[in-house]
Amino acid sequence: MLFEAFKEAVIAAAKQAGIEEYELYSVEDNQSQVSTYRQEIDSFSSTVSGGVCFRCIRNGRMGYAATELLTEEQAGEIVRRAAANADLIENDDQTCIYAGGTEYGKKETGSVSVPGSDALVDFALRCQKAAYGVDPRVADGTSSTAIATASTVRIYNSKGLDLENTSAFSAAYIESVVEEANEKYSGWSFRVGALQDDILQELAEEAVQKAVSSIGADTAESGTYTVVFSGEQMYTLLSAFAPVFSAENTQKGLSLLDGKEGETIAADCVTLVDDPFYPGSPVQTPFDAEGAATRRKNVIEQGVLRTLLHNLKTAHKANIQTTGNASKYSYASNISVSPYSFYFAPGGQSLEELFAQAGEGIYITEIKGTHAGANPVTGDFSLESSGFLIEEGKRGRPVRSFTIAGNFFTLLKQIAAVGNDLVFDIPSGYTVYGSPSVLAEGIAVAGK
Amino acid sequence: MIAKDLLDKVLQKAMSSGADFAEIFVERTKGNTIEMIDGKIDGITDNLIAGAGLRIFKGLRSIFASTTDLSEKGLLACAAQAAGALASGTAEVTIRLAETIPANIHRIERVPSGVPGRVKAEIIRQAYFGAKEYHPAISQVSARLMDTDRNILIANSDGLLTGDRQIRTRLFVSAVASRDGENQSGSAGPGRQMGLEMFDRIDPRQVGTEAARQAITMLSAGYCPAGRMPVAIENGFGGIIFHEACGHSLEATSVAKGRSQFTGRLGEQIANIKVTAVDDGTIPGAWGSVNIDDEGMPSQKNILIENGILKSYMIDGLNARRMGMAPTGSGRRQNYLYEPTSRMTNTYIADGPDQNEEIIRSIHHGLYAKQMGGGSVNPVTGEFNFSVTEGYMIRNGEIQEAVRGASLIGRGSDILMDIDMVGKNLDYGQGMCGSVSGSIPVNVGQPLLRVSSITVGGR
Repeated sequence: MLFEAFKEAVIAAAKQAGIEEYELYSVEDNQSQVSTYRQEIDSFSSTVSGGVCFRCIRNGRMGYAATELLTEEQAGEIVRRAAANADLIENDDQTCIYAGGTEYGKKETGSVSVPGSDALVDFALRCQKAAYGVDPRVADGTSSTAIATASTVRIYNSKGLDLENTSAFSAAYIESVVEEANEKYSGWSFRVGALQDDILQELAEEAVQKAVSSIGADTAESGTYTVVFSGEQMYTLLSAFAPVFSAENTQKGLSLLDGKEGETIAADCVTLVDDPFYPGSPVQTPFDAEGAATRRKNVIEQGVLRTLLHNLKTAHKANIQTTGNASKYSYASNISVSPYSFYFAPGGQSLEELFAQAGEGIYITEIKGTHAGANPVTGDFSLESSGFLIEEGKRGRPVRSFTIAGNFFTLLKQIAAVGNDLVFDIPSGYTVYGSPSVLAEGIAVAGK
Repeated sequence: MIAKDLLDKVLQKAMSSGADFAEIFVERTKGNTIEMIDGKIDGITDNLIAGAGLRIFKGLRSIFASTTDLSEKGLLACAAQAAGALASGTAEVTIRLAETIPANIHRIERVPSGVPGRVKAEIIRQAYFGAKEYHPAISQVSARLMDTDRNILIANSDGLLTGDRQIRTRLFVSAVASRDGENQSGSAGPGRQMGLEMFDRIDPRQVGTEAARQAITMLSAGYCPAGRMPVAIENGFGGIIFHEACGHSLEATSVAKGRSQFTGRLGEQIANIKVTAVDDGTIPGAWGSVNIDDEGMPSQKNILIENGILKSYMIDGLNARRMGMAPTGSGRRQNYLYEPTSRMTNTYIADGPDQNEEIIRSIHHGLYAKQMGGGSVNPVTGEFNFSVTEGYMIRNGEIQEAVRGASLIGRGSDILMDIDMVGKNLDYGQGMCGSVSGSIPVNVGQPLLRVSSITVGGR
């Protein structure tokens, strides 16, 4: 059964059950992926996934139920289960099925075509060849992957809303393994966007150079350092602590930013932007998971917290308008809050100028284990890291097997300069984190 | 779930372009999560996952396709798509499936999907108030009851036709303690391959109390010091150290392609002589157990390291080909959308020769890591990390004041040799392990043990 037919079956079932306020939220994802081992394709996958979530209001309470099986029987089943789930809910939150009303913004992305499987195979093989060509020490285990993905979200509700948005992109990444003196080193690089020849060599060199440059790395000395985070590492930290900017979390006492709007929470040089229409982002959306219009806003503006991220429920509690950040982790999830293109606005300095300003310190090019070593409820982090010493204002020898520790809320105030080299992560849903290189002072390092 | 005749046809279609192996995995999984926050049932997710994943091999090459359309047309189209991507000639293959029913080692007394929501809500309420009433500084509690009812069917071109029903239940409580503009958190999350009879043995109120106790303890704790020191790691979720430092690096996913420190080292001493490590998917009622793996092979008990000697890897069907070794019942996947690969089940370090009191007494200045969070590893370099969520200083052989969380980091090959005392109170902790084939339930476990020196990421 296709979505349209399933939708009609659900509408009929809802009517029969006497349910008047409801919504259908559907996601359909198509993904193709090709990976290589040595100079051959060793895996090819093509997946179709997604499902439909039904939610409805019964006696003022919202219930959800979802399915991946679009059959007549399941249409009745999700209506029955959502109603039963609504009856179990005890909170007194304002519930609403959104009727629309605000004007939707326009996406700047044009076509949503992605490469076919032949193009993926070709690009992955050429990446692999390029990677082996960068350095004779490149070893087995090096792998190149090309991906094409497309996702369509549909919202249909009893208030007349009927929305659809498709986003699609291709990406390639290389995981390199380099071997020297029986020791193995790894590196990694990726690009999101068209799989064009001009990125190939750059991609291969970046992956291999990351591995090669870590050869001979020693542990850093324990102490307090001035640190330059690469853009990739700063957005990794931002992604770990992004939940602190959710009004859902502040209202539940799970973020220390509750009631801090209008206060200075970061250094002057820090501006944090949330933009559903960031130019060049392949995952733009004019509407959020409740169907409300999305918009660009500064979350932090020159150090001052301007707004938290809201959905309809949290905005109603705070007595303001939604910021259009309602989200679903998967199609089956309850409505939550997430950012879009969420990034620290670039400053004026080059990476070299940040090193010069730091004088002595550490340049962090990898942090790991943020799911365990970073706690958004407390703000505390302690994270395995690697990178390079900064000596006399320049990048020095490689260091690894040390940790950096601190608190995110303190770190925001310890930022002394922001670079001009803004980069973005691979999108996940409509969320993609970005940051330029950032210089921060007074970071605790544990090593030898 | 799917008629045998249709499975025959689908596999024949999948083999029609020259593959030497084809497999179909059909899944129907019900998942239910009920969450209480602020003392009220606040959210329920209720989902049916249903679809099929189809794989074909030609030598070491694998092709994978999935569909949510379980009709004859949908399944044949999926098979045709996979076959089309291989395009390695034509073949007519006759498949004769012979059904096997695996032994069920997990008795389920109260299937959660059939229990009314109100009964589950009562369990959650007890857990919630167990935490909330522990101390006035507990500012927020979230208590969730999660259950899954997973029905799988696996058929392949070798004639295998089998299936399993896997029922799991987990209660997860996280508590936040607040004072003077500062938060600290604690959590507890027991899970079993059981129905709601799990709570005949585990008191939900105690689960809540444990989460709150950690948060309150950490609220008045100081920062953990930084640097290298000896660490005593407690049992249960402490087993995360083996899971990260070594377990992932013994998965064929890493080993087969040389992406592991332990490739080619079978029969060598890779750990201290006191270390025996096991991956056992057959423990009745355990969170990480399976009757059969997701390739249809019965789960088994694999001795990975015996008295420090590397004895076995964890191997799935495809990597078994690459390595020229037998599979070990370790092929697992989150669901039909992922290709299965070698993964852990219940992985633990066995009880050792040392007395637990001796382990603490042996440390002059170090850390006692009582509760652990998650971690990660880069199998290529062996560098791993995991977080301590509740720690205490040890001075002159005695456990003293509590210190806040910090990561412990090291390299797998070093740390295995540095586990120089192993105690006697083996217990397990439950987690969700994320890797290439998705997020799957696993147990980690160990008795109290000592690592002679490890970097503690304090400040």
